[in-house]
Amino acid sequence: MNGARVVITGLGAVTGFGFTWQRMWSEMLRGSHCIRPWQPDEVSDGSFPVGFAAPVDMALLPPHLDEHPAWRLPLEKRSRYGWVAASQAVADSGLDAADLREAAVLSASGAPHHMLDDMRLALAEEPGAGADWAYLMRRADRVHAGGSLRQASDRLARVIAGHFGCEGPVVNISSACAGAAQAIGNAFQMIRRGEVELALAGGADSVLNLDTMGSLYLLGAATSEQRFGADLCRPFDRHRSGLVAGEGGGFVVLERLDRALARGATPYAEVVGYGSSLDGYKVTAPDPQGRGAALAMQAALDDAGLDPQQVDLINAHGTSTPLNDVAETLAIKTVFARDEHYRRLAVSANKSQFGHLIAAAGAPEVIVTALSCREDRITPTVNLHEPDGDCDLDYCANQAVHRSVEVALSNSFGFGGLNTSLALRKYRRSR
Amino acid sequence: MTAYQARPVYIADAAVLNAAGEQLLDLHGHAPEAKPLPFDQRHQAHPVKVPRLPGDLFDRKIQRSVEAQGLRLLHCAARLAPALRALELPSERVALTAAIPEVDAPSPCWDAVEAIQREPDRLLPQLFANTPPLHALTLLNSTVMAYVAEALQCNGPMGAYCSQANAGVDALIEAVMQIAENKADAALVVSSSPNLTPALYLRDGDPASGPVRGEGAAALLLTAAPAPGARQMTVRVAGLARGYVADETRAEAVAAQVLAKVLKAERLAPSDVDMLLIAEHDELLAGLLGQPEKRRQSSQGITGDLGASSMLTDIAYALGSPGGGEACRPRYVLAMNRSKGGHFAAVLLATAEMRAEV
Repeated sequence: MNGARVVITGLGAVTGFGFTWQRMWSEMLRGSHCIRPWQPDEVSDGSFPVGFAAPVDMALLPPHLDEHPAWRLPLEKRSRYGWVAASQAVADSGLDAADLREAAVLSASGAPHHMLDDMRLALAEEPGAGADWAYLMRRADRVHAGGSLRQASDRLARVIAGHFGCEGPVVNISSACAGAAQAIGNAFQMIRRGEVELALAGGADSVLNLDTMGSLYLLGAATSEQRFGADLCRPFDRHRSGLVAGEGGGFVVLERLDRALARGATPYAEVVGYGSSLDGYKVTAPDPQGRGAALAMQAALDDAGLDPQQVDLINAHGTSTPLNDVAETLAIKTVFARDEHYRRLAVSANKSQFGHLIAAAGAPEVIVTALSCREDRITPTVNLHEPDGDCDLDYCANQAVHRSVEVALSNSFGFGGLNTSLALRKYRRSR
Repeated sequence: MTAYQARPVYIADAAVLNAAGEQLLDLHGHAPEAKPLPFDQRHQAHPVKVPRLPGDLFDRKIQRSVEAQGLRLLHCAARLAPALRALELPSERVALTAAIPEVDAPSPCWDAVEAIQREPDRLLPQLFANTPPLHALTLLNSTVMAYVAEALQCNGPMGAYCSQANAGVDALIEAVMQIAENKADAALVVSSSPNLTPALYLRDGDPASGPVRGEGAAALLLTAAPAPGARQMTVRVAGLARGYVADETRAEAVAAQVLAKVLKAERLAPSDVDMLLIAEHDELLAGLLGQPEKRRQSSQGITGDLGASSMLTDIAYALGSPGGGEACRPRYVLAMNRSKGGHFAAVLLATAEMRAEV
């Protein structure tokens, strides 16, 4: 597909590894993960069945971010992480405030954080009467400023746009775990189509609360495995048992190449294609043949005008759930079947290192993919010791890999079969 | 030339649900009386009854587990199923985009909240015993897209948007571009208003002010070519534009940019527009467009402010415009809206003969 060339010129990530992409990248290359014991705030005796997660550790906040306005405004914590990540991406890009006026902002958000204390405000004194919203409205002054009753889910996108004075389209994406990847994909399309020249795109999420983690546990999505301690996120391993949630945010600055070069920016990587699809299978499970995932990857390749055999790396969705990892492996084998190219691909699952950031997941994963293209280094899939018999690709188990990465795909697949794939390429001035 | 001029995108069918009714013509009928909200008598609103989903398309469990706003969306999507089926397209050539509000608090899981209130010392046993297994999917607004995709067999490109009143145009733009860029041959664009809940009012700075809100949903079927047997509305998407402003002093300038952009593809001036759809109370847009009052119309007066569903409902209003049949249909319709959050969006429609793809 023709159109303007689009490059990534700024990165920002807040994860369990800390508040900068540089720290995340170096820790990941070392083969670390940031998953540790976790319980919801309301549970003090350790009885919550989901015992591990990858929370953001405020002790790692660098001094220069102490005064960021995100910590002062009434916001959900995910919005704070996202705003800080977006600010980091802007600073990293070297853009001036005046440059940002015409920028688009695309941000993904997940399910709202319903606070138990807010919910209780709606319970009338009469037992069994259910929710009394009139009663809640009379006690509105007690509603938490940072919870879902006060915070619309597009708040982060608007806060970022307001902070930087952006007047391009401001879009909030809500496609579950594919959200941030869709945000980056849509931003790429906007620039390539000529709607804007510059965009801030990514997402932020945190499901590390009683309501949402309780629901993910009941759904059977989140693992309560105890055998492996903090090493329980094991994509493609035969002992994998479910997702391990992380939290945080990630943003990238996307820019039209000629504009980036004119201001002296050095691109990290080029975004060359975006594809999406729907499983249309079951809301609770991925298509077992990986059909939707394959459609999204093929669409990204077609969009980029790439042959599958040009691909070196797949940054997998790799959730560590029994169904996803097999389906994704099958999908990769389908798309890269010719000459069994799938045997030559490197596949890496970042969630083994910083957990599943749900709606935000695609953002740090695209950042890692861009860095792999730039540095020819691939982060490992950690905790992969006994590969599942149906997962027989090269998953870069446990150790970072040095190899040439000219072209890479980054996959993000959402609950309900909402699939995306982004194609990135090593930046070269001429194609 | 824009992509949608090179490969035109038509509106082949539409479905609505709102306080005025379920037919496009109902949007041109008499406005029902707004009612005081049960939880806050200061506000008038246009609620609708929760629709029943057709059993031949949707599992009965969906009726029980999906929030009212999602059921409205599914109800409208289902009504486009025959027209979509008539296109006889491979499922991977059918795109689906959605404008979907978040599932608002208070959480729908009241049994658990109440049980915890009763026995706070047994927090986890009460939480797990009283929360439905699919609660996580109920909380997630994009779940309804999965139901639509499964029931109507959409495996093509997707996009899900939750940008307040602007989500409708975000979803529309993505659907139009997927067809225009030949990544799909048809697209369902589905939308729903948020439920009328306390959160909708608590998030506003002054809960006593603001527009009369409503509940509703709207869906469009877009195609690249005429559909055999489907209702041919011969309406083409001719322009799309959007922008944002956080600083009110810049609102007029940004609105002017959005207007100029939407009219640019067809090289029109505002005076060339035959029907103008803007909210009645929006003096900024009215002043900018400088149109005679009689050309300014809106579905909002009859449905209430439908948020994420307002743009698609306005488009449906234009499609259902009565009076004189096809020959008298306005040649150009411009729908423009401005969200409370600061978004501007504009859609230009042109009456057109459907033509076969080249």
